[in-house]
Amino acid sequence: MEDVATHEEDWKSCFAELGPGLVLFARQFVRSIADAEDIVQDAFVRFWRKQHSVNDRGLLYATVRSVALDLLRRDARRARREATASADMEQITEPQFDFDDGSQRALAAAIDLLPVEQREVLVMKIWNELTFAEIASALSISQNTAASRYRYALAALKKNFVVHE
Amino acid sequence: MNDFSELEAELKKLRPRPVSPDLSARIEVSLAQEAAGRGVATAGVLPKQRKFRPNWLALGLGLAAAATFLILARVNVDRPSKSTGLALLTPAPITPTAKAVDSFVPAAMTQVVYDTKDEGLHFAEGKDEPMRRLRSRKRETVQWKNPQTGASLRVTYPTEEVTLVPISGQ
Repeated sequence: MEDVATHEEDWKSCFAELGPGLVLFARQFVRSIADAEDIVQDAFVRFWRKQHSVNDRGLLYATVRSVALDLLRRDARRARREATASADMEQITEPQFDFDDGSQRALAAAIDLLPVEQREVLVMKIWNELTFAEIASALSISQNTAASRYRYALAALKKNFVVHE
Repeated sequence: MNDFSELEAELKKLRPRPVSPDLSARIEVSLAQEAAGRGVATAGVLPKQRKFRPNWLALGLGLAAAATFLILARVNVDRPSKSTGLALLTPAPITPTAKAVDSFVPAAMTQVVYDTKDEGLHFAEGKDEPMRRLRSRKRETVQWKNPQTGASLRVTYPTEEVTLVPISGQ
């Protein structure tokens, strides 16, 4: 992707490409699509306003993550509710994916069971195609840590997915 | 990593739910507002308008302090002039002006002399004869009553009085 951040007219094409992945990433912190979209809107506008290069995807995802964590910190009750929802996982949350069959539904349910630090790495790697270097930059961790979290996530998914399959 | 290749392929088949169509429009509005108000970095958060909200507690305390001040100021004006004579206990000048109005009126005044000191002879200006100077320390208590409500107010304060007593030539 070329560096289009300095051209305001190009933000639509940029967002069309990155938007779904960004919203999916934001969904790892909140349990409703509306909240995730609010986070992405705020983060994308901030990112674009600063005229950062879209090639710096690590910074873009770091901005989304920062806005999401700010939102959770601002509303402690909401954070508790989200934590409770994450712990219970009673399927009261809106699904993150469109399903073709029951197998995909089970896989999506297994993803929901992962710890958030593994889920965010998985989302950035699989559906946003970030490199481990970019993921490490977004999360302020080492590349080795990012890679190991990814492996742990896959191992846990494989275990849970087989059980539910 | 090869152990997970099938799983990764399955994961990539999952399609994230599409973004709602109005999200793009909302971002467009935000960017337009940003461009219009460039230089004012509000990060999408508009500053709150300041509203005047009276602080009732402070207002009440202020009014109470003002009322107390007015009462005390009135008493200081009406306070009877001090006599030159000394007494250990002066009977209170009860004022019989119990008007049927809803206000505080002076009801009693007590003077307690707890120290008197003879400071010797003193030659006052314009006088040929010396005078004896007595310094008395007292504690005065003034009381007001509201005849209608029966409420009372009492103030006690220390005073110091200097009395010049003429000396006869005998």
